[in-house]
Amino acid sequence: MKSLKLYFKYIRINMLSGLQYKGWWLMILQTLIVVVTDPIGIILLFYRFGSVGEWSVEKILLIYAIAVTSFGLAETFSRGFDYFPWRMIRSGDFDRILLRPCSVFVQVAGSFFHIHRISRVFGGFCAIIWCMLKLDAVFSPLNVLVLIMALIGGYFAYTGVFVMTSGIAFFTIEGLDWIYIFTNASYQVTRCPIDYMPKILRNLFTFFMPMLVISYYPASAICGWGEGYAKGLLALPAGLAFLGFSLYIWRFGVRHYQSTGS
Amino acid sequence: MKKLQSSIPIIRGCFSIFKIKTAEGFQYRMAGLAGASTSIFWGLIEITVYTIFFKYANNREAGLQAGMTLRQIVSYVWLSQLFFLMQPMNIDKDILRKITSGDVAVELCRPLDLYFHWFAKTAASRLTPMFWRGSIILIFAMIMPLSYRLLPPESLTGFFFMILSIFSAFLLCTAYAMFICTVRLNVALGEGPAYILMLIGGILSGAYLPLQLWPDVMQKFLLYQPFAGYLDIPLRLYIGTMSTDSGLFAISLQLCWTVVFIAAGKVLMSFRLKNLIIQGG
Repeated sequence: MKSLKLYFKYIRINMLSGLQYKGWWLMILQTLIVVVTDPIGIILLFYRFGSVGEWSVEKILLIYAIAVTSFGLAETFSRGFDYFPWRMIRSGDFDRILLRPCSVFVQVAGSFFHIHRISRVFGGFCAIIWCMLKLDAVFSPLNVLVLIMALIGGYFAYTGVFVMTSGIAFFTIEGLDWIYIFTNASYQVTRCPIDYMPKILRNLFTFFMPMLVISYYPASAICGWGEGYAKGLLALPAGLAFLGFSLYIWRFGVRHYQSTGS
Repeated sequence: MKKLQSSIPIIRGCFSIFKIKTAEGFQYRMAGLAGASTSIFWGLIEITVYTIFFKYANNREAGLQAGMTLRQIVSYVWLSQLFFLMQPMNIDKDILRKITSGDVAVELCRPLDLYFHWFAKTAASRLTPMFWRGSIILIFAMIMPLSYRLLPPESLTGFFFMILSIFSAFLLCTAYAMFICTVRLNVALGEGPAYILMLIGGILSGAYLPLQLWPDVMQKFLLYQPFAGYLDIPLRLYIGTMSTDSGLFAISLQLCWTVVFIAAGKVLMSFRLKNLIIQGG
């Protein structure tokens, strides 16, 4: 309870300091433009080629939007881990955190907060609603529950990626760019219709990093494309499991931390 | 004549700054390797998506009607992963630090024209990622299985024109990056406007989708707008969807836009420097 209060205090202070810049709303606008223009390639491709079998542009966009929204949530509320390797290990600031008698996890998670990241959540959420309306999905209590569980599960999964990166960063900081495959590049995978997706991609993003479990299966359950609700509800446990695995790596890293900086 | 003679030391100065920065960037081998893995992953996904559309889409002839075969698109994707690296994605760290910390004042004391000094620096930082990261992408693209492989250029003259065009594209990218940099000189605005400008360039360059596959009504506009010169024009010459006659015209178009951006950057910079606020103390 105490750590939760501390976390929100951190977030509040970081948010207020961000608002000091005169152009802060321009940053929100900028991120919103990024979010809106990112799927432009796939939309234009559908415009020229038409649907792929039974895969229409709305179906693809729904899966894509769920993944993007979860990523946005993780980016908004666990930003500290995203920045951790570069901002805290290199400078030696992590030593100071270790000295304080509070949860290390909370202190790192709350260490950065950028208000403009919320526009990714906002844009993604609008896209989800638009696609569901277009696809005539029913907004029944069960469907809404599946969607919310999917987003929370997705938040855990993407936070897991950030935590894992930070854990690995204790051992090597050079060449961490490949982790990009599991963050910004991961939701690009959803542009492939799932029936045609190469097996290796499908397995990687189902059984290792559960990106498809938190996006495709819930979407399929909600709109009735053939996957059942049981698989749709797997999103939350899968996200938690991945976060648990990442926390294990993180703990291992913290135990082996040798101070840097001066 | 006299003016020309006095500009020689400036050119020499800028050239050595370019050389130093290039040598510096050349050292980051591991970062290049890790970065290449992302580019390759990205390229593979793009190719998979295009393959699905060319094989299974309801209107699968649409690509050929737009004038591109699947093999040409595969080459396009790999080369765009490579040349995408020279597009302005961020302002050079060194320059950004100088703007935000107030070190611009120190830079102004140097007997060098500030615009061309930073131009040389920016050019170097656009070029260096292409050494390690770029060559890894290129090698990987050439040894892929046949349906994923980068094909040799359509014709030798096309290849020659592409080299010319890439060189102009490099100047164009740097000129636009410098234009953004002068916009960034106004610190109070923050990073927002600079990133929006970069994003517009990125989208219209063809990196998201080859410009030929965009809607037909936009084709004329897409070819004449400045950002086709970033990526699309050189790649069209490589894969042979643009004849060498129109190639010459397209390259001169690239150079025209370069001159426009340099002029705009210089004017804006001298305007900004007149009422520059120095940060820090």
